[in-house]
Amino acid sequence: MAEEKYNRKNPAVKRILQEVKEMQSNPSDDFMSLPLEENIFEWQFAIRGPGDTEFEGGIYHGRIQLPAEYPFKPPSFMLLTPNGRFETQTKICLSISNHHPEHWQPSWSVRTALVALIAFMPTNPNGALGSLDYTKEERRALAIKSRDAAPRFGTPERQKLIDEIHEYMMSKAPPVPQISSSQASESQTTEKEGEVEGSSRNADADGTQEGLRDPTLTDRIIEEEPHEVPPNRDPIVIPQSVPATQPGDQLLLQRPEPRVPRQADDRLFTWAAVGLTVAIVVLLLKKFLKAGGHGAFFTDES
Amino acid sequence: MQQQSAIQAEEAEKIPFVGDKEPLSSLAAEYKAGGSPVLLEKIKILSEQYAAIRRTRGDGNCFFRSFMFAYLEHILESQDRAEVDRVRANVEECRRTLQKLGYPEFTFEDFFALFLEQLESVIQGSEASISDEELVKRSRDQSVSDYVVMFFRFVTSGEIRKRSEFFEPFILGLTSASVEQFCKSAVEPMGEESDHVHITALSDALGVPIRVVYLDRSSCDNGSVSVNHHDFTPVAGNNNSGGSEAVNPFITLLYRPGHYDILYPK
Repeated sequence: MAEEKYNRKNPAVKRILQEVKEMQSNPSDDFMSLPLEENIFEWQFAIRGPGDTEFEGGIYHGRIQLPAEYPFKPPSFMLLTPNGRFETQTKICLSISNHHPEHWQPSWSVRTALVALIAFMPTNPNGALGSLDYTKEERRALAIKSRDAAPRFGTPERQKLIDEIHEYMMSKAPPVPQISSSQASESQTTEKEGEVEGSSRNADADGTQEGLRDPTLTDRIIEEEPHEVPPNRDPIVIPQSVPATQPGDQLLLQRPEPRVPRQADDRLFTWAAVGLTVAIVVLLLKKFLKAGGHGAFFTDES
Repeated sequence: MQQQSAIQAEEAEKIPFVGDKEPLSSLAAEYKAGGSPVLLEKIKILSEQYAAIRRTRGDGNCFFRSFMFAYLEHILESQDRAEVDRVRANVEECRRTLQKLGYPEFTFEDFFALFLEQLESVIQGSEASISDEELVKRSRDQSVSDYVVMFFRFVTSGEIRKRSEFFEPFILGLTSASVEQFCKSAVEPMGEESDHVHITALSDALGVPIRVVYLDRSSCDNGSVSVNHHDFTPVAGNNNSGGSEAVNPFITLLYRPGHYDILYPK
């Protein structure tokens, strides 16, 4: 690292070096971020598209610039990989980034901001500056494409870092889910993807998101227009979760759609309902037969 | 927003983070031209008890900044080792509070370290010791001053969250925000102004009593004028706090609606 070049007495430098250290000692499968060697105020990052969304499996690169007054002033974020949610090479307009400096607080970090960025991906942009509202199909296509190669950007040294990050993310990322075109746009497909064996595994995956372990942090992330969040999706809590320890398992964990467990339940309920109905019909028939025997079949009507 | 911060910045440039010690007459001078008679009367009463004022920049951090300077200056003058040890223990408690609340260590440790460094340096007799002038200089240096202010914000936020049941009714009296939201929007961000909730929490967390003297246009019904003050006395339950018997606060702040400065008793 280029630590020697910096005045370690400078509080911003000190803090940034600590964040680098923290980032390296607690790596996440959901994102990776490192500063350039020649300038620790310039970072590269990649985030993984959040699971169970059209971004799943995508690897999205971007650039972070930390101000000299960091952590008093917020970092700014910019995506480099086309993704259909944020414009590339445009500063992202989130309250965690420097478009809304009044919301930033020094207890946040690059990690907090990246976790928030992932959480914001599936939310409705509602015309926010620098946002895009591509269809799910387009976004899914971009997610697949994003894996092929890292974006080309900046100096050879930066490119080297981008490529390294890409390689790391590829080693951790699940594939883009195989979704046929009919399913891609659907919202309530029920039968086809009911590979129920996935459901039990998925159930223990709904724990905590890496980096979201800290409840105080997540509570403090504000979206720029909270009222515009689609009602059925809380932007802060990322539904998918991955215990960072076993990357091998994750590939499996990532696969199941979140509806799967519900389908399993539904199916169970359906069978139970059918069973009950059959039982009732049998009982009724029995009763009617009995009653019929006594000639009282139509008592009421007669 | 941009315009607002531009105005703020412009205003702020006029006065350093922490000003020079000025005689109390300078306060009266401020209101001479067309000032309210009630205020002038009150300043007259103040001048019977207080000798001087030190202004702080009106950048939303004035309470914390005033507290910072008044506290460190008090230690510098009193060389009260026992007080330093006591407050140190409370600072460690605050650190544990933040850890328990789930703050990542690296987000607050720099601020803690910088405060403890200042606290150590005002005690004389070591290589790191500093003079009164140096204290003023550091308090005007953003890279020290803002860090100490932020340290107090962390301490305040931690105390409010830790005792959220106690603070909730007070916060509900101020805004409709939850304790959590309040800390997030009104305590931790720099430049957010302080209220009695902040003062109570900081005083409790560090175990330091604070006197706030109120200077506003209010007067009694019968027309008589008096200057009110309120003593924030740390709750006795907190570890290492002076307890309720600590009646004589060594920090006195002058509050005028929207702003805090430091007052010096005669």
